Amino acid sequence: MKALNKDIRDAFFDQLYSIAQQDKNVIFLTADMGAFSLAKFKKDLPSQFINMAVAEQNMVSIAAGLSLVDKNVFIYSIIPFTTLRCYEQIKIDICAMNLGVSIIGIGAGLSYASDGPTHHGTSDIALMRLLPEITILNPSNAVTAQACAQIAYKSTSPVYIRLEKGVLPLIDRQKEKDFSSGIFKVREGSDLTIISGGIMLQEAVKVADELKSHSIKAAVLDLYRIKPLNIELLLNLIDKSKIVVTLEENIIQGGIGTVISEVLAEARGDVFLKRIAIPDQHCFETGSREYMRSLYGLDVDSVVSTILDVFSQ
Amino acid sequence: MQKNILELEQKSRWVRRQVLEMISSAGKGHIGGAFSCADILVALYYGGILRFDSTNKESPGRDRFILSKGHSAASLYAVLADLGYFALSELENYQKETSILRGHPDRKIPGIEADTGSLGHGLGIGAGIALGAKMDAKDFITCVLLGDGECCEGSVWEAAMFAGHHKLNNLVAIVDRNGICVTDFLKDCLDLEPLDKKWVSCGWDVVVIDGHSHQELLSVCKQFHNKLGKRPLVVIANTVKGKGVSFMEGNLDWHHSVPRGEDLERAKKELEL
Repeated sequence: MKALNKDIRDAFFDQLYSIAQQDKNVIFLTADMGAFSLAKFKKDLPSQFINMAVAEQNMVSIAAGLSLVDKNVFIYSIIPFTTLRCYEQIKIDICAMNLGVSIIGIGAGLSYASDGPTHHGTSDIALMRLLPEITILNPSNAVTAQACAQIAYKSTSPVYIRLEKGVLPLIDRQKEKDFSSGIFKVREGSDLTIISGGIMLQEAVKVADELKSHSIKAAVLDLYRIKPLNIELLLNLIDKSKIVVTLEENIIQGGIGTVISEVLAEARGDVFLKRIAIPDQHCFETGSREYMRSLYGLDVDSVVSTILDVFSQ
Repeated sequence: MQKNILELEQKSRWVRRQVLEMISSAGKGHIGGAFSCADILVALYYGGILRFDSTNKESPGRDRFILSKGHSAASLYAVLADLGYFALSELENYQKETSILRGHPDRKIPGIEADTGSLGHGLGIGAGIALGAKMDAKDFITCVLLGDGECCEGSVWEAAMFAGHHKLNNLVAIVDRNGICVTDFLKDCLDLEPLDKKWVSCGWDVVVIDGHSHQELLSVCKQFHNKLGKRPLVVIANTVKGKGVSFMEGNLDWHHSVPRGEDLERAKKELEL
């Protein structure tokens, strides 16, 4: 997979555009949400692009109907509106019927930090992982986002992709060939394992770098497929770590920390797990994403400090 | 296959009798709404309206029928069994252990096109199918049967506006207008009137008929395939909840009550074949 240094949304939508050019059965539905790289899709492939207007429930049902007549459908909106708002339609029309519809949510975590809790994508993992048939993808940069577009296109069952905004550091992925494993070790380290994904992966790497100055060697895992979880690989990658830290920009219930805790509780009773996430609250504070992270102990300094506390105990 | 009016009336009576047996045997089921839409289902499946082939269930050219008011599944199951989608004997197992027939329909059941039961989903799914058919220039129609109580769901109107905007003239909605939701008369909890004007304002052609008259049902349903209209068509079928059993008709008690004892005997007598 060629390295890409562009906005994660552009990487995803450019790939999807290429796919749709080749396959007229690919239909893109948006609930009146745009993106820079979607403009050419709309312009060049108008018969495959429908603005559903602000009607997310109907968007899901229409997608199901199109899928029932063999269209490969992608639907798109901001995370709360393309998950929670139309959750029952996703549950019944797409998942219970196990249709190959791909749900694209923009604004993972606190992407829309200052917009307030209506726009935060901080509980969608918890929600979507309750749906038995779905695959949940959480790309951390342009390369994984591009791969996710291909994975979703080829899937005959439901896929949910939670997208970030912006250009995210690529972090060396050259060793990874087909993105079928769902987890990738981006840093080696024997003292503890940090598990993260999405935009927080880069923060996890910074934390690992910082911990080196404290003589702590931290491994970092990119959990880019949250469901189905590759449990066997996860346990292999955690290896001999006695401490596992999860780092995410989601509320603490039901996110990556919960996913990992379920596995460790059953398979690795010897591991101490520290979940670093947003506390159980709606985030009414306002400001930049970085500022909001600092309020919840998710900035690099706070995370390093939390991990050092764990080590000292 | 196409039957005359008298035969259709007899078939409706047979369907209601099956529903009575199924629900009383299972001890559960939604009898009132199953009775109110029985004539509509019979007209669609036996009146030469829907194109289907129970021996080739996945035929791409088949018309798609979606029972959006999924709680009325018992009537549809009786029809599908009679038409050979599955064994008639399966009706005796309705909602019982190991039965394929759950209280609400799903695609695991032969002849069912969409999972329904939660209200307000079927019209959007149907509109998606109809849109897909237009994209591929397929000439089948998609027909969605809604309850009038279901029309209180906002998602029905999202789908109605979408279908109107996209001029899906290959989509038909039928509203089983029995005037009663679960615990109340609609006029007393959420009056839908003027219901016809609501659909017109969403870009639909509207026909209002007596949903228990096979004559009227056939005369309007025969237009479905003629593609005379440029817009989607809704048939508001005025019906009576519990139709066919006198003490159930228009009675709030019979949404999902199960007739037992004397009630059951009386109902059986009224639906004697």
